[in-house]
This record gives sequence, structure tokens and C-alpha cells, in this order.
Amino acid sequence: MNQNNGSKTSAAEPATLLLAEDLHMSYGDRVALRKLSFNLSAGRVMGFLGPNGAGKTTSIRILTTMLEPTSGRFFVDGISSQYPERIRRKIGVLPEGLGLPKQITAIAYLTYFGQLYGRTAAEAKRVGMALLQDVGMQHRADSLIGTYSHGMRQRLGIARALVNDPKIVFLDEPTLGLDPRGQQELLSMIQHIARERNAGVVLSSHLLSEIEGICDDVVIMNLGRVVAKGTVAEVIGQTQLNANHRNTVRIRVPSPSVAQAQQVLEAMPDVQQVTPADVTAGWLVAELGDGANGDSAEEAHNKNKILEALIRAQIPIRGFEAAGGRLQDVFLQLTAEAIE
Amino acid sequence: MNDPQAVNGSRVESRAEPSGSTSLVWWLVFKQELTELWLGGRVLNFLILFSVLMSIMAFLLATNNELSLTPPKLMELITLQAAITFGLFIGLVIAAESITGERERATLEALLLTPTSRRQIVAGKFLAALSPWPAAMVLSIPYMVTLSQGDAVLGSALLWGALTGSLLAIAFTGLGMLVSIWSNSNKISLFVSLLIYLLCLLPSQLPGQVQATPALTFIQTVDPVEATNQFLQKTLVNSQPQVGSAVDPGPMGQVWIFLAGSAVVTALILGLLFLVAAPRLRLEGEGASMIRPIWNRMEAIE
Repeated sequence: MNQNNGSKTSAAEPATLLLAEDLHMSYGDRVALRKLSFNLSAGRVMGFLGPNGAGKTTSIRILTTMLEPTSGRFFVDGISSQYPERIRRKIGVLPEGLGLPKQITAIAYLTYFGQLYGRTAAEAKRVGMALLQDVGMQHRADSLIGTYSHGMRQRLGIARALVNDPKIVFLDEPTLGLDPRGQQELLSMIQHIARERNAGVVLSSHLLSEIEGICDDVVIMNLGRVVAKGTVAEVIGQTQLNANHRNTVRIRVPSPSVAQAQQVLEAMPDVQQVTPADVTAGWLVAELGDGANGDSAEEAHNKNKILEALIRAQIPIRGFEAAGGRLQDVFLQLTAEAIE
Repeated sequence: MNDPQAVNGSRVESRAEPSGSTSLVWWLVFKQELTELWLGGRVLNFLILFSVLMSIMAFLLATNNELSLTPPKLMELITLQAAITFGLFIGLVIAAESITGERERATLEALLLTPTSRRQIVAGKFLAALSPWPAAMVLSIPYMVTLSQGDAVLGSALLWGALTGSLLAIAFTGLGMLVSIWSNSNKISLFVSLLIYLLCLLPSQLPGQVQATPALTFIQTVDPVEATNQFLQKTLVNSQPQVGSAVDPGPMGQVWIFLAGSAVVTALILGLLFLVAAPRLRLEGEGASMIRPIWNRMEAIE
């Protein structure tokens, strides 16, 4: 590892923007983070998942130079963690608390931050306006931040995080408190940052379904440990849950039709057991037999037959989920295992 | 986001590398803080309170003077001392909330995430917190002019008041910032800062006999408030020592010791602030990290 002038060059992985090696953090006897290692390439979105107290915010604060790790090191665009000021030039951060003042206009605020990053006042203002346009806030550029809605403040926070044109953007719970539409808009904005700017994005969130939709890589943490990491598909695939529960499906029908649906499904030869999971909401859990013997095509065919049977019986289908195929199932299993 | 053309266009703009700063960071932070303090109305509230207190005191002194109980020189001294005491309180309170306030509002993290020198951030905030002092001094001039009743001491009082008051304002603003850097909440920062402020005011309230003891004489030299009071008293009133005054005016050589004492304490506070505390400015006050292990041990023992 070449670290001349604090820089790390690697011909094998030129696009690696963030490399964490054995990061460890403890406060006295309490360990907040154990041996965190991962890497993130340009243009990719990495999801940082974990329940409260898992060590997500601690990890982000270490990687953004706000905390010094007890041991371990990391590199941002080849710059060693020994040079925090140089790293801060390369990163953009949306902290969980947002931290926006109220008695200042958005454009004045972005201009101020642009200047703190070394831009001239005119240049900072121009970039600030462009960023406000990027996040769809140009029409409120001259409004006081105190008059903004939560969603608008989140957008402004993202604009601030991009004011130095960062190589890596850290977003700590960016969708917290947003309505579904706001969440969707923000997530597509995050994807845009990664794809169009070719920046690496580290995204911490509890919204697993959304993370699954936009993240390329994922790190699942619990009690300060990494319990799974890799691409979303790898993480879903590497868990036992998928193997144990891949023949289980959850079906939602109108609640008056639950009994009828149960009868229809129980009559099917490939279905071993049908259990009403939540009669009021209309959920049923159907376990398929092992006839497929791990043949995924056969498994998919069996699941289709369930749908077919319900449609033939003219039972409206409101929901259909293959258990174990979602990041949420993996997350719940892994975090539960770690607690046990 | 809504308009692909706009997105692409703006992306090109934002890709431009920063062309190099033309403004010093401390100046940027100072301007920003100044705007928030003055346009936000906080300083204005303090100055209104200052004017009210000065008015009450001036009224009491003027009515006392009508009974021929207080000579103009002493009234001038008391007014000046009050202006300094109230004036430095403003800087102290603003400084004590400057960092902890940002911690509580979660705005400090964004500032610390910029590649700027911590020392320059502190310098900008320090100067902004100091900014109400000149205004307080200017506000106190009409009171001093009125109460001086044409006495020649007015010029000296204004000159020495501005000098020693500025020294004290710098010391107490610096002290407030030091405490704020090390604290995690406004409550703790304000409590500690005001406690120190009151302790510094305490010696002047002690009886004359106690003030004459060697220990108190030493404290009068190192306590910047008391040293300033002693200096002003000896400079402005020493030609006519007051009956009942606890302190012997003494030769002028001794008078400068008080000014030197105040200057040394101010220099020490500034040194501590900019050489020790400012470079270690963190998201969390270091006072908490120093206290936490002790607290944990105490809890473990219990």
C-alpha cells in the first residue's frame, strides 16, 4: 500500500473511493464499533443498515472525520484518515440532525458554505443557485430557511452536502420524517448523485424496501458489528433464511375471502400448509412442499400456480410476497441472530 | 431534478473546482455570526436591558447627588464600573452560548465538516461575541457626561474606561468561549461562566477590613474585574481619596500593577482559547469526555 503524502494508489481498483480497514471505536469499556471494513466504488450507492445503536452513526462520524477511531484507518479517494482536513474537501455530508439555521435565506447559506470551501462569493453564489435548481428549490432561494417544510430542509441539506462537488456523499437517515412522495423524490435524487456525478454515496436508513431499491451494496450492522455485507443480491443470497423460507409465500386477500382462499390453497397438492397470519388485514402464509428440490424455476412455477388457483376462484389478490427474498427479511433475521 | 437540461447544466457548474478562497475563514464566520446576533435581535435585547440598568443606576446616583452625598468623581467611577460590569456580561453570555448553542441546534457539525481551521472558526465567533461591547460603551457615554457635571475627570474616565473595559470584555468573552468549547449544553456553559463572573465580582463586595488582608490584595491583582476596579479608582479618584475607602491609593507605580494583572489574565485566557481549546474544538465538548470516565466509575462503585 503506497501512502506517499497520505495518498493511497491502487492500480487494481482505481475506482475505489472509500476504503475502510478494521475501524474500531470504543468509549472506555463500551465498544461502539468493531472491525468495520468495506470499500465503495465511484457511482455506487451503499446502504448502511442496522437497528438503533448498531453503530451506523458512529461509523459515519468516523468516516467523515468527526470522530477519531480507536484503531483502524480509512482512505477517501486515496487520502489517508491521517489527513482529516484533506478528506473533508472530498466529502459531502447530510448529518442526521440536518443542522440548518433559520434566520438566513437558502442562497445566502449555500454561498456562505461555498466560501468556506474556498470559492469566491460570486462563484459560491452561482454554484449555490445551480444546486438549488438541482434539488428543485430554485423558486425558494431567497426565502428564510425557517419557513421551509421538513422536505425542503432535507433538499437544502443535500444541496449543502454537494456544495464542494464531493467524491463521496454521506447521508444519515435522509428520508426520516418525509412523506412517501418526499421519500421517493429524495431517493431518486440520491440515485442521480451517484450515477450522474459518479460519486460514491453512503446512505444510512431504516427504510429497507427503499434501500433495496436504490442501493448497489449494503452493510448490515448490529451491536457495533458487521453482520453482512456485499451487493444486495449477495447479502440476500448468503443468508440461511433464504434457504429455509424460500418455499413460503405471503398472500393478502380481502378479509371476508380469507377462509375461501385458505380452502383453495389447502386443496392444492404442492401446498403443505396454509396459516392465516392476520385475518383482519387478510394475510395468509402458504408453505410449499419440497418437490422443487432447490430448483428455482420449479419453485417459481409452484408460486405461479398459487396465483392461478386464486384467480380461478375469483378471489381478489391484494398482495403477494415470496418470504426470504427481501432485504427486510434478511435484516430481521441477522439482527435477531446477533441479539440471540 | 425536474428538468434534465437544468440538471446537466447545473452539474457542469458545480463540477467547477473551488478557485481558491479570497476571504479569510474567520472573517466569513465573523460576518455570519454578526448578522445572526444583530439582525436576529439578540444583541438588541441585551442592549435594551443594558440601557435600562444604566438608567436606573444613573437616576439613583443623580438623586443621591442632589442630597450632596456623592461627589461627581465618585459618581463617574461608579457609572463607569457599572457600564463595564454590565457590558462584559453581554459578551460573556453570548460567548458562553456560541459553541454549545450550535451543538444544541446541531449546526456545529456542518461547520466542522468544512475543511476550515478550528482556530479561525473560534476567532470569528469570538469577535462577533465581542461586538456588543463597543456599543455598550457608546451607550454609556451620555450617562457619564450627565453625571460628570462638567468635571474634568470625564475625559480620563472615557479613555481608561474604554481601555480597561475592552481588556475585561476580551477576557470574559474569551472565558465564555472556553467554557462553551468544553461544555455540551448551554445550561452548563452559562452556569459555569456566570459562576466565574460572580466570583470575580465577589471581592469588591467584601468588607474593607477583609480587603486589606494580603490574600485579598493578591486576589485584587489577579481577579481582572477587581484589578480593573482598583486601577480605575486609583487613577480617577486617587487625587482625592474618599473617606471610608478601604484601599490606600498608594503611589502610581502600584496602580499599574492592577492594569498589568488584568492584562496578564486576559493574555492567559486568550492563549488558552486559541492555542489549546480552539484547535481541539469537537462535535462533543471535551469536558464531557473528561467527566464521563469519572462518572462511569462512580456509577460502577454505586
